Amino acid sequence: MSNGRKRRILIAKPGLDGHDRGAKVVARALRNAGMEVIYAGLHQTPIQIVNAAIDEDVDAIGLSILSGAHKTIFPKIMSLLKEKGTSDILVFGGGTIPKKDWRELKALGVGEIFTTGSDTQAIIDYLNKTLER
Amino acid sequence: MSTLFNANVIEEIDREKDKWQETLYQSAEVDKKVFETLSGLPIEPLYTPTDTSQMDYLNDLGFPGQAPYARGVHSTMYRGRTWTMRQLAGFGPPEETNKRYKFLLKEGATGINGVFDYPTLRGIDSTDPFARADAGRGGVAIDTIEDMRILFDGIPIDKISSSLVTCQPICNITVQSMYFANAQIRNVPLNQLAGTSQNDFLMETAITVAPEILPPKVSFKLSCDAIEYCTRHVPRWNPISFAGYNYREAGCTAVQELAFVISNAIACSEELIRRGQTIDSFAPRLSFFLSAHSDFFEEIAKYRAARRVWFRIMKERFEAKNPRSLMFRFHVQTSGVALTAQQPLNNISRAAYHALSAVLGGAQSVHIDGYDEALCTPTELSSLTALRTNQILQLETRVTHTIDPLGGSYFLETLTNKMQAETFKLLEEIEGMGGIVKAVESGWIHKEISNSAYEYQKSIDSGRMPIVGINCYQMVDEELPVDLFKVPETLQIQEKKLKKIKKERNRAHAQDALDAVARCCEKDGNLMEVIIESVKSRVTEGEISLTLKNSYGTWNPPLF
Repeated sequence: MSNGRKRRILIAKPGLDGHDRGAKVVARALRNAGMEVIYAGLHQTPIQIVNAAIDEDVDAIGLSILSGAHKTIFPKIMSLLKEKGTSDILVFGGGTIPKKDWRELKALGVGEIFTTGSDTQAIIDYLNKTLER
Repeated sequence: MSTLFNANVIEEIDREKDKWQETLYQSAEVDKKVFETLSGLPIEPLYTPTDTSQMDYLNDLGFPGQAPYARGVHSTMYRGRTWTMRQLAGFGPPEETNKRYKFLLKEGATGINGVFDYPTLRGIDSTDPFARADAGRGGVAIDTIEDMRILFDGIPIDKISSSLVTCQPICNITVQSMYFANAQIRNVPLNQLAGTSQNDFLMETAITVAPEILPPKVSFKLSCDAIEYCTRHVPRWNPISFAGYNYREAGCTAVQELAFVISNAIACSEELIRRGQTIDSFAPRLSFFLSAHSDFFEEIAKYRAARRVWFRIMKERFEAKNPRSLMFRFHVQTSGVALTAQQPLNNISRAAYHALSAVLGGAQSVHIDGYDEALCTPTELSSLTALRTNQILQLETRVTHTIDPLGGSYFLETLTNKMQAETFKLLEEIEGMGGIVKAVESGWIHKEISNSAYEYQKSIDSGRMPIVGINCYQMVDEELPVDLFKVPETLQIQEKKLKKIKKERNRAHAQDALDAVARCCEKDGNLMEVIIESVKSRVTEGEISLTLKNSYGTWNPPLF
């Protein structure tokens, strides 16, 4: 932690899908790793997520999507962040996101994708490393 | 000690076991590892007659189709009638899902198991700005009775049974009403309809926790309205399927799964009795939906214990007389969270073991997950492979030939007893809080589920729970060996139908229908009676849900 501040991470689940086990487990793991986690829960719209990220002054947004709607939701969030001049907030994702879609999402600026079966330590390490820069 | 056992022989067995343990087994070396069930119950290296010597055969096990139903609810079990092969299906617009239903029936499925998309489950129309990205995802989109007509078009609903995975009561109260109204329009009398709806208030208030949902008490009321309505008018319908499967998927242990479904069923029973029903008028139609997870023996023990716990509660607490009230009947779905996105074909083996545990536990119906469950909605090929796995289990393995084939196993009987004791303990704890509705309102249940889910993940991350392809035997740069399902275009199709319906329907009738729903909320009447009529005026699911939320207000559940 270069500036002595705890890392602040927003975990949100956009859309109407109710599979929130992963989002909750990741939120808990990041919290136990010493990060400040704002868990926004289910049914968040892209604008709600971006506004919450700005209001809460977070370093990163983690989005959990298992519905297959990732190709609609990520682009919206990325362009809203740009619009608001807050593209410096790191966006990462998890859920049921096929590998073949990763390149497209990363081209939009999404930092990393953690699918089903990811180790929570890998997510913690990734955030520590990426936010260090 | 039960009269089945001779105290002298048991003593001798114990002495010999001690010797075996000290000399042959060499426990100090082996027992450095922790052996426990997936839910954390300790496991001994070996079980002997000593472990079951306290059991009284006639009281604790008895015979299939007889109290306490430990060995099965039917006297002939699978010799008389095998389990229903009910493969879950639903995606896109109803036009597409209707084709999948017909395909599965043609290939030998023996019942419909329909799942609804995320907007429908939440009581929102496909065209709602909040819903558009999710239309047709996770299930089939239903907005009006016209969609229900299309979904079951050409399917003999008077002959085959349909399971409607409506999950939340806010969805069920309208979607189940549409199914009934559609049957009436097709001239199929309601008393001929067979099927099940999920209709579980925990699904709305504790499992998939979203903001601005109906308060627990209201969601619970809607669930009981459907039970009450079916008790009066649709006698062959199971109006609730306590969805332990989904509790488990959200993180619960096997013991929590069992205790939560049963405490939910206790609450419903008390409410129905308060409304003037007798226990034997509705209890025969209370049904359960459980998971088949990876711990093979624990799952079998869970199903067997469930039957005994339910029997005791119905008999002792509710004094039920009808044998059907005393029977714990259940559908099983193989675990989704136990499957992996990595090396997905391995999931075929996993799901087959899961299903075998369900069958050895005496399930009434079984759905086997597709191998691509962790990646997408099942493709036609993965659905078919799952159905074939079910058929192979039923036709080739001969596990159907004798009833409760593992009954009497020292290990399994001990584990069954343990599951029963742990379930009663947790039931008592919930009882002490004032019952399941209170346990939801206070946020207790949310915390419990969240804790269990986190513990489970920790044991995977630490490698304590090996999962092939995840924390061992991983493959680097694996090429995905399967095609992924693509959800067919849904939103445009639903939008077009909705536009047409809203233009053509009689506006005054539609408004009257919604007013009738609002009035029913005010006078605390049975909403299903009113909504079955309302949907015939082609009001949408979203319009009805909004009326309910305007009348009852909303609740923001705790976030953990």
